[in-house]
Amino acid sequence: MNSPTGQPGERWNRAAVWRAQHRIAAHDSWRKLLQRPVATGLVWLMVAISLAVPSALLLTLENLRPIVPDVAGSAQLSVMLDREVNRTSAEAVQRQIESWARVDTVRLVGREQALLEFGEQTGLATLLASLDRNPLPHTLRVLPALPVSDSALNRLIGELESLPNVNRVVADTRWVARLGETLVAGERWVLALGGAMILGAILALANTLHLAIDARREEILVVRVIGGSPAFVRRPFLYTGLYFGAGGGVLAAFMLWALSVWLTGPVNALFLLYDSPGQLQSPGFKYPSALILSGAIIGWLASWAAAERYFRQLETR
Amino acid sequence: MIEFERVSRRFGDLDALRHLNLTIDQGEMAFITGHSGAGKSTLLRLLLLLDRPSSGEIRVKGELTRAIRSHRVPRYRRRFGVVFQDHRLLFDRSVHDNVALPLVIAGFSPRDSARRVRAALDKVGLLAQEYANPATLSGGEQQRVGIARAVVARPEFLIADEPTGNLDPQLSSEIMALFEAFNQVGVTVLVATHDLSLISQLRHRIITLSSGRLAGAETP
Repeated sequence: MNSPTGQPGERWNRAAVWRAQHRIAAHDSWRKLLQRPVATGLVWLMVAISLAVPSALLLTLENLRPIVPDVAGSAQLSVMLDREVNRTSAEAVQRQIESWARVDTVRLVGREQALLEFGEQTGLATLLASLDRNPLPHTLRVLPALPVSDSALNRLIGELESLPNVNRVVADTRWVARLGETLVAGERWVLALGGAMILGAILALANTLHLAIDARREEILVVRVIGGSPAFVRRPFLYTGLYFGAGGGVLAAFMLWALSVWLTGPVNALFLLYDSPGQLQSPGFKYPSALILSGAIIGWLASWAAAERYFRQLETR
Repeated sequence: MIEFERVSRRFGDLDALRHLNLTIDQGEMAFITGHSGAGKSTLLRLLLLLDRPSSGEIRVKGELTRAIRSHRVPRYRRRFGVVFQDHRLLFDRSVHDNVALPLVIAGFSPRDSARRVRAALDKVGLLAQEYANPATLSGGEQQRVGIARAVVARPEFLIADEPTGNLDPQLSSEIMALFEAFNQVGVTVLVATHDLSLISQLRHRIITLSSGRLAGAETP
């Protein structure tokens, strides 16, 4: 300090001053938030909803994703050959289909084996054994090369059906391909929605912070005249933004956790009904920490933007 | 020492200051007077770098203020204690915290700060009100809190803009006596006021501005 009356020996070092000023700003901002609990609660709720909705959707997608390749493994076509086709011809058809690039694997299920499996699965083995003739044809299980679009699958079915010796093609798992496509679209939709909601949260926060800054206009003017640096003036508002954002993140994490607890029972029952080994994943540790961190970053950015804009207006006045 | 060299400040086609030449000596106490609009406030704002002159130079202890970079301006302003007409106290905190504000900004330790705040409040006779809310104080008391805040960091210069504007003559002369006391311990004091009857009783230089020009400077 160049003040002749100042006593440098009594000054703290820079780091201690910086820490003390931060402590004061952090504490004062927190106190001011608690003085207006309803307004603060509403801001937290706003931030929480903007963060919780997209992350709930994201969590849902994440839960669905592992089921898809599972079922996609069985996303195969059953090519039923004509009843009179013998094993040798069936193998010839198998080799022909195997040579197609758009086909991954072809497995021949002989009519004897098919009957055996059918009997085991249905519990009708004794009844089937009493038949004097096997009613089932040879079947080829064709797994298309993945990924396969709906239209490509349709084309493949058409080509398979037009082969000689082929009776018909059954593709009852086509919905899986559609689900896969839907998930990709859903993911993009969630990203767009999430982006829009977070942008909305930033704008609403910036507006709230602008009002908070304006409410302390008198203080800002005084501090400026008596030598407060822009950083000193800005600091309490950055903390306010940080608290708004991080608090909203905490609330969002709580909402997500409550939602997953509420859904676990029915969803796991649903998984069970579909014979899926899956279980509803809880938000775990990853989601809450991401929510709180992104809330804090959003709040800090919003307050920085609001403060910069306000001070620029102040300077040009 | 504060020097104004041919300083002009124009707002559109209005000349707030016109080619002003003025020197305030180190340790001097001086009054700036003139009607409203004569340029008193503009002069103080230029000195505090709240505004920049349209032309001319201002030097403080030989340092050209024009050359001060914007990030050095806050530090420059800390060399001044400022008293406002409407005292500009913050009613969301105690008298103590109001007075401590410049010390927080300048980075004094809490212990040192508390000691200085009490010394400043003692000097203006308000030590008993240390933890009161300034809103509960009278106008004269509020202005004394404002003065305590201006002097607590022991500035080189004390600047006051119409500090007695809202006070009765008795309180006004008490406030002026306080300024004189700070001047006697070496602080350069510059007071803008239009209270001629009050300052004519005091033996300090009176600088009169008229339409942005120096209309006269009488030395006692």
